[in-house]
Amino acid sequence: MAKAEYTVLGTDMPRKGGVERVVGKGVYGIDLNLPDALSGGVLRSEHAHAKIVNIDTSEAKAIPGVRAVVTAADAPDVRYGRSYIDRYILAKDKVRYMGDPVAAVAADSQALVKEALGKIKVTYEPLPVVVDPEETMKESAPTIHEDMPLPKNLPEGVQVKNVCGYAAVNIGDAEAAMAEADVVVDEVYETKMIHPQYLEPRIAAARPEEDGRITVWANAQAPFPVRTEVASLTGLPLNSVRVISTGIGGGFGGKGSGVTSSAGLEPICALLALTAKQPVMIVMDKAEETISTTIRSGCKIWIKTGAKKDGTLVARQGKVVYDAGGYSGFGNQAGGRCTQMVGGWYRLPNIHMDGFTVYTNKQVCGPVRGPGGPQATFAMESHMDSLAAELGMDPIEFRLKNVPEKGDGIVGVPKLRDSSLAETLNTAKEKIGWGKVKLGKNQGIGFATGAWIEGAGPGGGAVVKMNEDGSATVHIGKVDYGTAAPFGIPMIVAEVLGISTDDVTVLNVDTDASPWDAGTVGSRSMLVSGNAVKLAAEDARDQILRMAAGQLEASPEDLEIVDRQIQVKGAPSRSVSLASVCNAGHNEIGDVIGRGYFDSKASQADERERGSSQPFTTHAALVEVDADTGNVKILKYVAVHDVGFVVHPKAVEGQIEGAAAMSLGQALCEQVVHDSDGRTLNPTFVDYLMPTINMLPRIEAVTVSGYPGAGPYGTKGAGEIGSVPPMACIANAIYNATGVRVRRLPLSPENVLRALREAGK
Amino acid sequence: MDYFEPKTVSEALSLLDQHGDQAEVIAGGTDVMVDIKYSDEPGCLVNIKRIPDLNAIRESNGGVHIGPLATIHELEESDLVRERLPLLWQAAHQFASLQIRNTATIGGNICRASPSGETLAPLLVLEAQAEVTFSDGARTEPFGAFFQGPGQTSLGSRGLLTGISVPFPAAGSHAVYLKHAVRGPMDIAMVGVAVMATANGDKTALDDVRIGLGAVAPTPVRAPKTEALVSGKALDAALVKEAGASAASESSPITDQRSSGEYRGWIVDALTRRGLEQCWQALTGKEVA
Amino acid sequence: MGLEIKLTVNGNTHTAELEPSTALVDFLRDTLGYKGVKLCCNTGECGACTIIMDGKPVNSCVVLGADAAGADLVTVEGIADGDELHPVQQAFIDTGAVQCGYCTPGFIVSLKALLDRTKSPTAEDVEEAISGNICRCTGYTKIFDAVDLAAKRMS
Repeated sequence: MAKAEYTVLGTDMPRKGGVERVVGKGVYGIDLNLPDALSGGVLRSEHAHAKIVNIDTSEAKAIPGVRAVVTAADAPDVRYGRSYIDRYILAKDKVRYMGDPVAAVAADSQALVKEALGKIKVTYEPLPVVVDPEETMKESAPTIHEDMPLPKNLPEGVQVKNVCGYAAVNIGDAEAAMAEADVVVDEVYETKMIHPQYLEPRIAAARPEEDGRITVWANAQAPFPVRTEVASLTGLPLNSVRVISTGIGGGFGGKGSGVTSSAGLEPICALLALTAKQPVMIVMDKAEETISTTIRSGCKIWIKTGAKKDGTLVARQGKVVYDAGGYSGFGNQAGGRCTQMVGGWYRLPNIHMDGFTVYTNKQVCGPVRGPGGPQATFAMESHMDSLAAELGMDPIEFRLKNVPEKGDGIVGVPKLRDSSLAETLNTAKEKIGWGKVKLGKNQGIGFATGAWIEGAGPGGGAVVKMNEDGSATVHIGKVDYGTAAPFGIPMIVAEVLGISTDDVTVLNVDTDASPWDAGTVGSRSMLVSGNAVKLAAEDARDQILRMAAGQLEASPEDLEIVDRQIQVKGAPSRSVSLASVCNAGHNEIGDVIGRGYFDSKASQADERERGSSQPFTTHAALVEVDADTGNVKILKYVAVHDVGFVVHPKAVEGQIEGAAAMSLGQALCEQVVHDSDGRTLNPTFVDYLMPTINMLPRIEAVTVSGYPGAGPYGTKGAGEIGSVPPMACIANAIYNATGVRVRRLPLSPENVLRALREAGK
Repeated sequence: MDYFEPKTVSEALSLLDQHGDQAEVIAGGTDVMVDIKYSDEPGCLVNIKRIPDLNAIRESNGGVHIGPLATIHELEESDLVRERLPLLWQAAHQFASLQIRNTATIGGNICRASPSGETLAPLLVLEAQAEVTFSDGARTEPFGAFFQGPGQTSLGSRGLLTGISVPFPAAGSHAVYLKHAVRGPMDIAMVGVAVMATANGDKTALDDVRIGLGAVAPTPVRAPKTEALVSGKALDAALVKEAGASAASESSPITDQRSSGEYRGWIVDALTRRGLEQCWQALTGKEVA
Repeated sequence: MGLEIKLTVNGNTHTAELEPSTALVDFLRDTLGYKGVKLCCNTGECGACTIIMDGKPVNSCVVLGADAAGADLVTVEGIADGDELHPVQQAFIDTGAVQCGYCTPGFIVSLKALLDRTKSPTAEDVEEAISGNICRCTGYTKIFDAVDLAAKRMS
């Protein structure tokens, strides 16, 4: 959307904390310097599935300088999890993937930690391993969690095992409608596991305090859930745990799901510190992370769609099998979202989908950047191109024929306030030059659309505290890892209070002081903290204006704050400085403290009433396929988005470009590779291939005017939706270039060449 | 862990004699540092980085003498290498990131004896010689004999690679090094193919065709049957196709996390064809018909 | 066995002890306190720990600490001129190339080394200089923009 009449909003103010980062100040968790801290480390299972017969820690404990050795036996008999409470702080009785934490050590040095971990003797009784998400559902598969029931909502008569989540979509009568279709396309797609691979390793540090409390430092996206889980797993009362968020070097949801995402690192560290009665810091190694922290799951998707000859979609049936890994993690939520999104965001009156989230002996699913969405969209939007081809229609025209309009429902959204899908499609078509650009040999253009459902979810608050010089200190519950906290949030405060962003300090999260928040996840920073901080700043402003009104002999409504001056509207010479009012406020109300919150219930009620405001996107790629090697080169990539009102253009573009790049990595080369024993074959960056600058074009992010979202000033979330279309977009471009449809990720040279050869090309 | 910084070759050799299998030689460190981090520390580390004059690159006896401590980037920056050993230069240029090329040494790449080592297939094709030194004397041997298996060389645990002699290729020869990887220089090669050839007098046929294959056998290998198949002949599409298939049949690739053996065979085929076509075009000025 | 080495970092001379197997990145961060050198992959693949060693960018995670004896090192902390940021640092801020910022020091060091070599780098030069630096946040577009801006301001 166009920049409205704002002073600060819509500009590209420098990132808060930017200078510290470019000169190399130690702002991250890994830079934490905790005096007298012991080093900590975790012993991880070397079996993907085994009974723990015995753990002998005596030799490790006997090493001089080793201060604590802990196992599950040292912690309360309490488990954690989201939909399934299925996991202990350290594995008890059984291990369920290679990398499952079994024991932990704190010692005077890292070398001693390594030595002690090597001296812990674990006796395992290996069990059969299942790594394939389809195999695990069969009767013959080993049981991964003996005491976890099948989901209560599982339809009657379904014979499955190792299922920890079920989601269905039932709209209209898909079976009957399918019979009426002129054209039916039935396909199967498969995606692989990727790791978010934020560059800063996970850390946790814990210090027992004199008063019996414990302070935990974490580079986690969700400090409050970390507090809850640390308290519960160590047996401390909640108010005895304080979690402080450090600066965070990337997360992408990988650091997002409470202690699940770190494989229990924070509570393990707290347990070590409580046992050793000394501070402890654990820094994970990146290779250790690849095998143990949460990932974007692989899944298998069956999708069948019927359409009329003119391209009108009539019915869709499908199934998703979503791999949660050794524990449920975020699997149920991500698998459910994936199942919904395979249903799509087009006008489609009859849909039936079954979604199963399953346990396997692999790393655990986390809420990685658009959980479930990129996988679903790889299948759904590739499938839309297959349908267009079967119908003999132009892929853009076919999609335009079926875009939802204002008032329509899409899966998961009963009523749309408006729709911008067509606008993004048409813009993408124009920007990539569809039908205009002359394609060379083995070159092709592909499109894929995307949506990301926002709205429902926890609320969250903000506090804006005015200082006597007119500056503002802001408490929110979202952390700074380069999204809204250092960009949009200070801009909103500055805009409302008539000050500069230089006058605004946004504090990182400290659970003792910050408002509660579910975590910096779900593209919700602006929706939750943006709305909250706007109201908090307005509350502060109103208090200030009330105090100034007396001095200026005007009513508060007639006052405004411009450039740190409070003035009478239309008579700027009648003014008083913001600082003087804040200072004088000490004698009246003490501090000016503004409070605001995002009211999720009210927001949902508004959505029911007026329809909900969703972001939409279309990506377009021009690729060249090397038919001899299968190598795919992206020559041009355009990401067109409706993200509502844009507070900080470069920050929004950066989110879109980064999200797209991450999924382009998954499209072309990224995957965590396992053997049949459940061993990760590419734990280090030597063979875990993320995009480097030489394999990507300059991704072009384009924002269209669209329509306003539910965020402050009409923003919509921008952090995840950019990761939704790229895999399908590249697959469709390959199809356009070669006539060959690749249905399995990654679209690596090998998989592409294999498909070309199988097609006789 | 014991640590030594010998100042001479003989000092280094006596340390290797003394510590045997316990000793690990470190030069640039780009591989050894990863081993130290992720495997057990060696009993003793012999850092040869400070032995003087082991990084020279100079013309010698109708070829180029390369000191094993020359970094990959020093090879790239050497006019002698760029102009006289373009095949090696191309391999150096596709060898990992600039940061790694500034650190990794050619000796380290060779002694690591990874089948995918970037400079190895080119050295085979260039028919370079390894100068191998033990405490009881030195010898030179062709790299075909030097490489004995993955991570295995004729140095054993007591020898040191003290020089690399690369004869100048025949005047008028042309060579290409083709690396197959998703991220180009940044990845370990799935396959590397080095092709070098000359043309006969009237530019109607290729002479002395040499083909080296990397990452598709326990050691880097030549493809002698394919070389014989195309040497002395004019290239046409059918012969190129036959040569690609022949080179693939001379490889014995394994399946690992980077790709399947079957796919590596396809790539040997493709890159051999491409290399031959490029040589043919450069040498004769004609496309393969 | 502790090994004592003497080296120069950002113009400051340090003499310190290290275990002989220590990687340079750990020595710089943990012993000398140069926390701007970022630890990440430990395999020389991501470039977060890039420093300039005797004029050349290297990954300090795969350099033996002992090899820094007598060396002249530049880390990200040594690139600004007092409070005056280097044009590359300023350009990273101005173009939005700093998101989480964890890869930023490595990029800045690699690019400073590039711009020390040439004032008007070609696209190939830029690609070569920073292909060994992984950024997971930006998708690189804003980093390309930053390089363009810095080169423009310096020429």
